[in-house]
Amino acid sequence: MNTRIFLTEVRDELLSIFREPIALFFSVLVPVAFFALFATMFGGEGGFGVESVARYGAFGVLSVVLSNPGISLADAIERGWLRVKRADGTPLGVTLSAKVTAALPYAIITLAGITLVARLTAGPLDTIQVLRVIGVLLLGSLPFSLFSLAVGAKFSTNSATAVLNAVLIPSVILSGLWFPLEMLPAWLGNIAVYLPPYHLAQLALAQVEGGAVWGHLAYLAGTTIVGAITAALAYRSAEV
Amino acid sequence: MEHVLEVRGLVHRYGDYTALSGVDLTVKAGECVALLGPNGAGKTTLVRNVIGLIEGNADLIQVAGGSPRRAETRRRLGVVQQAVGFPRSLTVGEIVGSAAARRGLSPEAASRAIAEMGLAGLEKHRAAQLSGGQQQRLQLAMGLVADPVLLVLDEPTEGLDVEARRRFWNTIRRRLDNGAGVLVTTHLVDEAAAVADRVVVVDRGRVVAEGTPDELRRTLSERRISVQTKVPVSVIRTFDSVETVELRDGRTVIATTDSEQVVRRLLDLDPEANDLTVATASLEEVLIAITQHEEVLI
Repeated sequence: MNTRIFLTEVRDELLSIFREPIALFFSVLVPVAFFALFATMFGGEGGFGVESVARYGAFGVLSVVLSNPGISLADAIERGWLRVKRADGTPLGVTLSAKVTAALPYAIITLAGITLVARLTAGPLDTIQVLRVIGVLLLGSLPFSLFSLAVGAKFSTNSATAVLNAVLIPSVILSGLWFPLEMLPAWLGNIAVYLPPYHLAQLALAQVEGGAVWGHLAYLAGTTIVGAITAALAYRSAEV
Repeated sequence: MEHVLEVRGLVHRYGDYTALSGVDLTVKAGECVALLGPNGAGKTTLVRNVIGLIEGNADLIQVAGGSPRRAETRRRLGVVQQAVGFPRSLTVGEIVGSAAARRGLSPEAASRAIAEMGLAGLEKHRAAQLSGGQQQRLQLAMGLVADPVLLVLDEPTEGLDVEARRRFWNTIRRRLDNGAGVLVTTHLVDEAAAVADRVVVVDRGRVVAEGTPDELRRTLSERRISVQTKVPVSVIRTFDSVETVELRDGRTVIATTDSEQVVRRLLDLDPEANDLTVATASLEEVLIAITQHEEVLI
């Protein structure tokens, strides 16, 4: 029963996202356009390879999963639509899971766009490495989706959009996803290790360059637990 | 007859504020119960408990044979809630189709519900662009796909024009005839009097009166006499049991608790008094009296 409800919910969510092309533009095209711009400006002769897909891909995935689930939830609460769903027997967990899942195809489109630009600027890429990077980025997006839901449960649609954007841009810059940390002032660079996007990008980079993964994995697992608790508390205090 | 809704001893608190204090309520199959009361009386809190959105403390809440906190139970209800906005981008067909799919029903069930609510031909329209009346009917269509045993309608005709209201209630009557129970809250007292088999008056979180519309009207002993007479208003005011007297369009209108005695005295003083009618209080007057002087009626 719940699988059928989940699939129905995902379909409705995908339709809603697909029919709002402006939101799609900002979530999908902006990261790809940024990557193309940086690859052209700073790529040099070698272009931006798989390691760049890991860093900018983390930004691309975050721009989708941080914004869509939360804004969609805030909108559903504001309209009273979540009340309608709950009254007709749709389990809340299924509705929220559908919102998180529905963001993933758009994250995949973003990653595909970034990978295509990397292929055009850097030449052939290692397919296995690319797939591992994409897999890690998609799986590692869960804590950010949960944070997005927490914001969506707590704020109105307009406020949630503002809060999530205000979180996204500074955190990706401070985590070294746009520019290498070496280019930032040292005191700013030191902040990165405390930020979840940094650990997501490092985990993805480890698929290309090797290196330790357990520390980053533990940090993201902890963030997932905190995100789930925060989302649950935010929802309990929301006026649905 | 079988109860499709049974609530016993429901208490609901928001922090220190007690919204419901020991409410009992039942709805039988094929029965329409109207929940009336002033703003803040606790009607919406009661409805939200019945449809499982919130949970107070109760000795018993049984809806359609189960607890409303269970999703399976809620799938057997048809609900119209206040202040609902549909998603901007989904169509009528998609919304009702999804409501059917979530319950494991076929698209034909969705088509039947859409047709029953008079929305056929609008399947490809965006729901958010429908008129207020059409949106209310769409919400009910979502609930009708499951052939519900209980319909819970919270201010369902708020903002609807006369024709839209008539169509809405025609559908509800058909469902009542087929054995569904209906619990409806409304501010439109005349509407409640017309459609309800039983009226439950809630005030300050308690049920303060209950009965058929006629039974409730009879609880108010006041009668209204309308007559063409030469007896001056100042004289009529001196009669025992007269509460108010006023002239309205050349007629004298008297509110009294003993209409028989007032009519006798009027005819003694003015044997030519004519066009005399005696009416019981309207349900609205009863409601006002109950909620202003509820201690008399508890």
